[in-house]
Amino acid sequence: MTEIDQASKIGEIIEAYPADQRFALAALQDMQHAFNFIPEEGLAALAEYLGCPQAQLYSMATFYKALSLTPKGEHIIKICNGTACHLRGAMNLATELKRDLGIEPGQTTEDGAFSVELVNCLGSCALAPVMVVDGNYHNKLRVEQIPGIIESYAEGVTDHD
Amino acid sequence: MNEMLTITIDGVECTCQKGEYLYDVATRNGIWIPVLCRSDAFDDHRACCRICIVEVEERGRRKVVTACVYPIEQECTVYTKSEKILEERAVIMALLAHRAPDSERMAEMNKFMGRSGFDRLISVDGEKCILCGLCVQACNSLGTGAISTVLRGTDKKVDTPYGNPSAFCVGCLSCANVCPTDAIEYTQTDTTRTIWNREFDLAFCEECGSLMGTTESVRHAAGEDSEVPSVCDACRKKKLADEMMQTYRYV
Repeated sequence: MTEIDQASKIGEIIEAYPADQRFALAALQDMQHAFNFIPEEGLAALAEYLGCPQAQLYSMATFYKALSLTPKGEHIIKICNGTACHLRGAMNLATELKRDLGIEPGQTTEDGAFSVELVNCLGSCALAPVMVVDGNYHNKLRVEQIPGIIESYAEGVTDHD
Repeated sequence: MNEMLTITIDGVECTCQKGEYLYDVATRNGIWIPVLCRSDAFDDHRACCRICIVEVEERGRRKVVTACVYPIEQECTVYTKSEKILEERAVIMALLAHRAPDSERMAEMNKFMGRSGFDRLISVDGEKCILCGLCVQACNSLGTGAISTVLRGTDKKVDTPYGNPSAFCVGCLSCANVCPTDAIEYTQTDTTRTIWNREFDLAFCEECGSLMGTTESVRHAAGEDSEVPSVCDACRKKKLADEMMQTYRYV
């Protein structure tokens, strides 16, 4: 995405909302969705549009886990570490992912393909341990299945049902 | 005219208006309640340091409240030094002191009203800030809004966006002056002041040579449409008084 594309996209996202501070989070979420992160220019433009300090938006962007200030990977892997998943070995999944991708939870691979996150509960405790990749649930996982799943996303397979 | 109430604080009868904050009533009657995150500069208080807790007895029921933000709605009896309060306040104090071990003021206060026996707590290395957010409130109320709390949980801190020198900061030191634990650091030489990673030029009065602040803060204080003053307040008043004297001399 070129700089001009980004600027026009930012403008588009921002102007979809009325200039009121209560829409700050919604606009930030849209930006996160469009760019996979929140660019500094986006934060500044939104602050100017809403008439609130940039520091306040920065505070928001750093507070919510769903918002990121550094580019996230193309595929986002969420490992559930809720009580049920934790007991059924969610941390083993994280270790396996580290072996395959070389990154800890919270990091992004160098080629920008994958981000790994630890999340607290996905509400699917009966399916523990659960891992969600790009919104697709992979349930009752065993560590041996991980490399295959990673590979399928790396190859761009979209059908995961 | 608001309804008047009579309440008892530590055995002292105090009259107050309905809706007044308990802390204000107590202070007016010479009763000391310790506070950290409260500044008289603001109308709304944060009540996040929790040091100002007191016990309030209303209709025979006792509860612990923060005096800073507790509006008096009915007749009540207040205890600021009950056994329960002293104990709970000592716990809060000890926690805050371990949060900001490098702050001399916190150490002093903890010595004064803390309690020993909290050795198992681990202090945060080199920290002075108790994250009360008074500095952020001060900066926002000035309309600069250069700093805010960033991140969350154990990583939470006060900073400028991206940790960069802020274009909105005017170097007025309001944040540093309002800080209850002296946590905001700045350096000052004969001609410059550095705060939040940004260096500012200092402005001096053209008449008496006293320090007026940074050039940015003087301009900000003057307002957008006004002329930036070149003399300090005292000199301006003196000049005005001299002019008045000349004008009304023969009246």
